[in-house]
Amino acid sequence: MAEWASNFCDLFYKCFIKEDRYKLLLSGIGVTIKVSLLAIVIGILIGMLIALCNLSKKRILKIIGGIYTDIIRGTPSVTQLMIIYFVIFASVNLDKWIIAAIAFGINSGAYVSEIIRAGIMSIDKGQTEAGRSLGLSAYQTMTRIVIPQAVKNIFPALCNEFIVLIKETAIVGYVGLMDIQKAGDFIKSATFIAFMPLIGTAVIYYVLIKILTLLLGRIEARLRKSDAR
Amino acid sequence: MIKVKNLHKKFGDLTVLNGIDEHITPGEVVVVIGPSGSGKSTFLRCLNLLETATDGEIYVDDELINTPKVNVNRIRQKMGMVFQQFNLFPHLTIMENITLAPVLLKKMTKAEAIQKGQELLARVNLSEKANAYPAQLSGGQKQRVAIARALAMDPEIMLFDEPTSALDPEMVGEVLDVMKDLAKSGMTMVIVTHEMGFAREVASRVLFIDQGIVMESGTPEEVFGNPKNERTRNFLSKVL
Repeated sequence: MAEWASNFCDLFYKCFIKEDRYKLLLSGIGVTIKVSLLAIVIGILIGMLIALCNLSKKRILKIIGGIYTDIIRGTPSVTQLMIIYFVIFASVNLDKWIIAAIAFGINSGAYVSEIIRAGIMSIDKGQTEAGRSLGLSAYQTMTRIVIPQAVKNIFPALCNEFIVLIKETAIVGYVGLMDIQKAGDFIKSATFIAFMPLIGTAVIYYVLIKILTLLLGRIEARLRKSDAR
Repeated sequence: MIKVKNLHKKFGDLTVLNGIDEHITPGEVVVVIGPSGSGKSTFLRCLNLLETATDGEIYVDDELINTPKVNVNRIRQKMGMVFQQFNLFPHLTIMENITLAPVLLKKMTKAEAIQKGQELLARVNLSEKANAYPAQLSGGQKQRVAIARALAMDPEIMLFDEPTSALDPEMVGEVLDVMKDLAKSGMTMVIVTHEMGFAREVASRVLFIDQGIVMESGTPEEVFGNPKNERTRNFLSKVL
């Protein structure tokens, strides 16, 4: 037991303490968080836009929304990331992490739009009729009556999408960003030790997502206030 | 107040309203009865444009309302509607349900709307529920709130679409009482209902609709006591 423990400490020291390697992981956490947060915001914005297109009565908007969702869902996110980084933004002078966040946002938007669309369709037609019968406009009915209720319904699915998105960012190493995954990988190559850096990477992701889940759980409890009986 | 001329409504190939002519005058309480599928709910929904009439004309205060030129939202503000399924907004408190439209449409300030809301809740005997959410109310209470919500816009006309059909029997009375009270106050009302006792007691006029047309129209005494139309007699013999 003592031998195992000292062995563990030795590995831990070599992988994380020696040559300040933990700093690599810390900056990796920063990159992952930066990319994820911006991507979530972009994803929600694009998702709302595409959801409105899909729900619209205009055929051309429906077609645009359909094609977008179809292409994004039909291709791997690594491929999308590389196309956006090396092809579309090849000659644009933007920070790497911003380009990566745009790529993940574009990807996430397709999934978010489907979640939002399902959420809006889940609200009973009577709610819209009640709003309109009071004299509210279609826009007022949507923003004050339908969307607040839809948000509550789609919140769990949206949280799930955020979690998937954060883990998905582990591929940003493909375009040369040093996130958590890439930092762990770098340590593995430098030390020739696989166990400690990879388990460390997993633990960091797990803790990040656990914190996020707890936060989102609190928000959801607040949203559910009106369900109390 | 409401004039309907030659109103037709088709859903695809199905003709639901087949030429209705009607004139509803201020202060009238018109109760619409008829078998299910007869078009009575559709007639009501056409009046506040929740359904678009296929053909015919609807005038409110001598203004043609079923034309693209008219501002639908302005017309609807004159007409309160109460639904079978209540359709309260579950994410808002009772008071917020009532004040949302008057404040949003700038009819009242928030303070005025809350005061009006308190008056209306007192009128429907639900003052203590102002801060509750709809999920905490019984069906009868929900429907009374729905009536208060519609009244908050100071409508000239109140439309009721089977307001007691989704209620447990013991709660029907409390809702009908509120409606009786409203009728006594002189409100113009159009009510689609299966409550024949209520119709007989409160209606100033009863319309019997079947197969998309008004088969019979008259005072409750005329329609219930001495129906002229064979179909009316047939229908009444089943429900009375």
